[in-house]
Amino acid sequence: MEYWKNPEECVTAVKKMWEEVEKDVELREGARKVNQLILFDYTESGPGCAVWVDCRNGAYAIGTGIPSETPDLTMSLSADDAHRSWSNKLNPVMAITRKKIRVKGSATGLLKLAPKLKKVAVIYEKVLTDLGWADKIMK
Amino acid sequence: MNANTGKVIRVDLNTGVVSIETLPEDNYREYVGGSGLAAKYFWEKGDFNADALSPEAMLIFMNGPFSGLKLSGASRNSVAGRSPLTGHWADSSCGGFFAPELRYAGYDGIVLTGKSPKPSVLLIEDDKISIVDGTEYWGKGIEEVTKELRNKHGKTCRTVTIGPAGENLVKFACIMNEGHHTFGRTGFGAVMGSKNLKAIVVKAAKKEMTLADPEKYEELRKELNAKIKDALASNVLHENGSAANLGGGAFTGDVPIKNFTSNFWEEVTDALSGPTLTDKYLTKRGACAYCAIACKRVVEVKEGPWTIPEGPGPEYETIVAYGSLMGSLDLAAVCKANRICNDMGMDTISSGVTIAWAMEAFEKGDLTEADTDGIQLNWGDMETVINIVLPKIVKREGNLGALLAEGSVSAAEKIGKDSINYTTQSKGLEAPMHDPRGGGHGMALTYAMSARGACHVADPMLFVEMGSCYYPEIGFEFELEPMTDVNKPEAAVISIELGCIENSACFCQFADREVSIPEWVELFNTVPGYNWDAQDMMNAGRRIFYLKRLMNYRYGLTAKNDELTPRMLEPARDGEPQGIEINFTGMKEKFYELMDMDPEKGIPSKAALNECGLSQEAANVW
Repeated sequence: MEYWKNPEECVTAVKKMWEEVEKDVELREGARKVNQLILFDYTESGPGCAVWVDCRNGAYAIGTGIPSETPDLTMSLSADDAHRSWSNKLNPVMAITRKKIRVKGSATGLLKLAPKLKKVAVIYEKVLTDLGWADKIMK
Repeated sequence: MNANTGKVIRVDLNTGVVSIETLPEDNYREYVGGSGLAAKYFWEKGDFNADALSPEAMLIFMNGPFSGLKLSGASRNSVAGRSPLTGHWADSSCGGFFAPELRYAGYDGIVLTGKSPKPSVLLIEDDKISIVDGTEYWGKGIEEVTKELRNKHGKTCRTVTIGPAGENLVKFACIMNEGHHTFGRTGFGAVMGSKNLKAIVVKAAKKEMTLADPEKYEELRKELNAKIKDALASNVLHENGSAANLGGGAFTGDVPIKNFTSNFWEEVTDALSGPTLTDKYLTKRGACAYCAIACKRVVEVKEGPWTIPEGPGPEYETIVAYGSLMGSLDLAAVCKANRICNDMGMDTISSGVTIAWAMEAFEKGDLTEADTDGIQLNWGDMETVINIVLPKIVKREGNLGALLAEGSVSAAEKIGKDSINYTTQSKGLEAPMHDPRGGGHGMALTYAMSARGACHVADPMLFVEMGSCYYPEIGFEFELEPMTDVNKPEAAVISIELGCIENSACFCQFADREVSIPEWVELFNTVPGYNWDAQDMMNAGRRIFYLKRLMNYRYGLTAKNDELTPRMLEPARDGEPQGIEINFTGMKEKFYELMDMDPEKGIPSKAALNECGLSQEAANVW
């Protein structure tokens, strides 16, 4: 992996990012509107390298690994591309076209969140800094 | 001949004489079909001196080689000729059900000239072709006429019809198939109207086609249908229609606001988006023949001032043209305006852009109450647009109706001042609802290079800059940043060649995105049997582009006409693209160089034409 020492680092950063997203009212409400169980599956970079967010029915729960229930939407990509993606340095349409991201399920809800990715990237950068990984921040 | 039948119906509406013409097989391989084949036909047999609305004008409906296949995206066809709106060569494509039925009846196209002495309907029942009295339909809306035609000729018939706007020669009148699918752009509804032809009805006894390699094709068809159906974009389009990502576009600055004066209005993301249309007004989804995507909307507005019964719903283009472009967030009003435009037979893009331009002109004082019959044209006033402006345009009523029915360029030329500078068009065709300043600078280039004028479907540049095109087999591996000029001319060359193929093959651009280059080639080889490799296919794309350049040159267009208006090129005033300059001149110069085009004449060099197999045509212009 180019950006991570191990899969656990990636999981830690992404999980923490979603925890911080919850603290932002606009983003939290935006996520709740999506009303889906979303799995970010990075297991191609290592077993257990996955984070899920459950925004169904007004909930907001975060977990790691593969959830027990079937996700409404699964986005599969490498841990490195996850880092590029949350840093807002990966064009998601291009990545999907070139099979860097594989999507399973309904992405309609996610389209609602897409315009907020810039704001999420700011949170992600702060999370990396807080975790002592400022060197991973993409310029 | 396989897939194509080789036959076109020629109708002289002056005399009522109908004949069947056989086209040379080489023409199909060289010009694919659809708009490319129509251009070749017009080049050989059309009258370049004929006014678009004169009896001498030629109007051509042309299928592609795939029309009639049970394949998602394959059931479109083209109408082509001289545009009454722009005055030069144009073509317009339509999905729906007309193209397959025409193919099953045994024909690749219909060529119309002359003017019927009275309102008429062209009736095609396999080899029985007749011109019948259409007086009873004249003056009626498209919905009613479509129903009556199907009642009269049977539920299995397919129709294309014009509305009162076409009868009244509104310059952006459209032609509708089954009242839901539209040959929208460049005003061919007015050409049909000028010929006193209200409708064409086609009915085929059998639904059969011969294919070059049926077994290989069937294998490919299954793969492609599954791939297209399962694609992420298809699912999104199915669920929420062509406006599914309007919200995303609004944040990048792609969605034009108030006649392209603004690139950001956050409220549109909720008020006008595809998901909102689904939640509020969708009753069911519709599809073109054999298409699994089913992106069409069927809507009903049950309450409020804009109630409409269940029927065709608006596409993205209409939602923006009759929404944010006019300064309105009223989605029900969009649904109502869409229904009126469909029924009266008017292009929602050109009509919407022309009205939005008029609103700005009124605000600036360039258009006065003397010009508008005392009507105030204010941003967001959809009551005036729907109840007063649209009916006036359809009937060409009063000063306002007569002015706007000619389109924005003609209207701006008439009122003068600096109003031409804030029209949003190229070559006289009003721009679609993707603002190149936010959607992608390459689109500014391809809008200007499109033969028919500003157009987002002449080629897939919109998708190219979005990142949804990747064709390593032909060297298309660009990673493009939308709001720069980097690699845009290079990408535009390939995009335009592909666009010419797509539009000549009459394939839907949504479904197209899932078809790889090797699959395209295999389709051409297993269906019509063109026996191509990828280079042959791309050469055909370039040949078609070149031929259309030559046609416009014969209509008097040169490199100077490959432009956008100042409004479309000025740096955006707000939103994501705020302040960013488009290097339009630089992109254009590079594109001309890559395409070996003369920087003054705007046509390919003699050598380039010879290389493309257009030496005879070259002799006509060099």
